[in-house]
Amino acid sequence: MSSHREAPEMAKDPVADSTDVYAFVSPDRPRTVTLIANYIPFQTPDGGPNFYEFGDDVAYDIHISNRGRSEADITYRFRFHTEVRNSKTFLYNTGPISSIQDTAWNRPQFYSLTRIKDGEAKVLARHLACPPVNIGPRSTPDYPQLAEQAVHKVGRRRVFAGQRADAFHVDLGSIFDLGALRPFQHLHLIPMADAAGRNSLQGFNVHSIVLQVPIGEVSRTGDVPADPAKARSVIGVWASASRRKSRMFDKSMGTYVGHGPWEQVSRLGNPLFNEVITPMAHKDMWNARHPKGDSVFAKYVNHPELARLLPVLYPGVFPHLAAYHKARADLNAILLTGIPSGVVPGFQN
Amino acid sequence: MSDTTRRKLLAVSGASVAAGTVGLTMGPAHAGEAPRSATSARESVVAYVHDHRSSEVRLLVGEREIVVDDHDLATRILNAAGGQ
Repeated sequence: MSSHREAPEMAKDPVADSTDVYAFVSPDRPRTVTLIANYIPFQTPDGGPNFYEFGDDVAYDIHISNRGRSEADITYRFRFHTEVRNSKTFLYNTGPISSIQDTAWNRPQFYSLTRIKDGEAKVLARHLACPPVNIGPRSTPDYPQLAEQAVHKVGRRRVFAGQRADAFHVDLGSIFDLGALRPFQHLHLIPMADAAGRNSLQGFNVHSIVLQVPIGEVSRTGDVPADPAKARSVIGVWASASRRKSRMFDKSMGTYVGHGPWEQVSRLGNPLFNEVITPMAHKDMWNARHPKGDSVFAKYVNHPELARLLPVLYPGVFPHLAAYHKARADLNAILLTGIPSGVVPGFQN
Repeated sequence: MSDTTRRKLLAVSGASVAAGTVGLTMGPAHAGEAPRSATSARESVVAYVHDHRSSEVRLLVGEREIVVDDHDLATRILNAAGGQ
């Protein structure tokens, strides 16, 4: 589920920008579920000398709803802190980084993992090491090994937080140029020769938080459900990022200092909801809200702007869409209320 | 009207802190001379008056937000912000 730079204010705050969320039964460990939340979009690999990293001033959360209430029954919170080993150099690394403990890496980042359930927070692990970013063949000659070293076991869980290639595919350059779809753009209102689609995210990185947990830890009943048609077999997953309510610049240190509670500034669950359904004027408000209140956005789902645009942008190509004026019950089910049993064999939510 | 009835700590927000109502004891005319209580903050605090027409002052301290309904406190802050 992807949503890069989807809201005006959030686009200015990439460190807190939730870009992708994935949740799936782990193919290699089918009694676990893998949860992935990505942040910090469009990272160029050569973004030195100050490479990309998680925000020490951001709380990154992965939320689980297992009672069908659109509320977080379980939250996994990740808090980061960065250390500078050598304050006398401008370098990110003073030599090849051969392991994640290598002292040649001058700016290591660590994190804590906290599980919040029923209002009670329990710190599961502290000082877990991230890998460095993938700098190049001299600085990070064996990056797969560095990444592997940053996969930590926390009880029966496994966790990783660090830079990864963005796995999502989307032709952003075309789609946001008045909805152009390159393979048949000769049919566009402003026609051009057809061309193959391009993955705008190819070659860019994100920062991933990956958590693999036993299914019983997140299911409603604490076991591994066997019947996918049962409501108790379903979990809802979304990610968010929060910042302190107040952020003041401390001139003496040259840094910002936070005060007050954490306030959500970004969230992501369903694909493209905020990107192409929520009107621009409400996108940042949507980011600050919780799923429980999403009924106020149902009108945009029932009558999406994109459904009105497509027949205009592609004259004569979408006659059925152009003639359809009822509320979109299909999108409402997919994005808000859940797909009923029987629509997709063996699946319901 | 006594200080304790005029001034009320309306709510305390934050994930781990319950809401509550607490009376304040500091006098408006002698705020600078008032002794600090045993539970006074020992860290930086941000005070925020969102609406100058109201008596609500929000205090951001640590990971908490404390909402104080205190006309005198709001007035003193607004006066100070105005240069008095």
